[in-house]
Amino acid sequence: MGKGNSKQHQPNSNESTHNLKGTFIAVMLLGVFILVSWFGFYALFLSR
Amino acid sequence: MHLHKYEKIWLVFGMASLVLFLLIIGFAAFWKGTHPQSHMETIDPQNVEAHDAFKPENLGIREVADGKYIVNIVASAFNYDFGKDTEGNANKTIRVPKGSTVLYQITTKDVVHGFQVAGTNVNMMVEPGHISRYEAVMKNVGEFTIVCNEYCGIGHHQMYGTVEVYE
Repeated sequence: MGKGNSKQHQPNSNESTHNLKGTFIAVMLLGVFILVSWFGFYALFLSR
Repeated sequence: MHLHKYEKIWLVFGMASLVLFLLIIGFAAFWKGTHPQSHMETIDPQNVEAHDAFKPENLGIREVADGKYIVNIVASAFNYDFGKDTEGNANKTIRVPKGSTVLYQITTKDVVHGFQVAGTNVNMMVEPGHISRYEAVMKNVGEFTIVCNEYCGIGHHQMYGTVEVYE
């Protein structure tokens, strides 16, 4: 803890080591779901 | 500010979707004329007969041009007035050929009602003091039930009618 370990725990290097792959997949799945349902409802509106 | 590579991708994806949706809505509103059904046109709810469209003899369906119809309706608790047939009975069915353009004009004498032709895009709120209009091309053949979809009182479920689209 404290300033002694700062070489290994710099804020920037710490952030870049986050693994966001799962988050990325989850966000994209949600995005695709929103897009697909939006166009689905729009197609329903146009067909009626 | 440092952004993760994935974060940049989903931010761009999100903003691009937003722009796409807004462009389509703008296209529908400004080029295709999709607007709210109440056009801010007011009417005295105590005296709807004073308006030409809602005189008792003008209620119901009328062909104004080839394939173009106007339907005038007065809603009240708990009835849609589509005018009377030649024998003096209340009309409950609107019949139009497939592909015709129908302008529905409706107002109410008392409380807020709904006017939905279930299975089509015709779906309006009917407010006292206002005239609601919706023009629709009836492109699918079938019998479509008209329902009130705003709870208007004890007889709400008795407000109905039919639009019949034939070949």
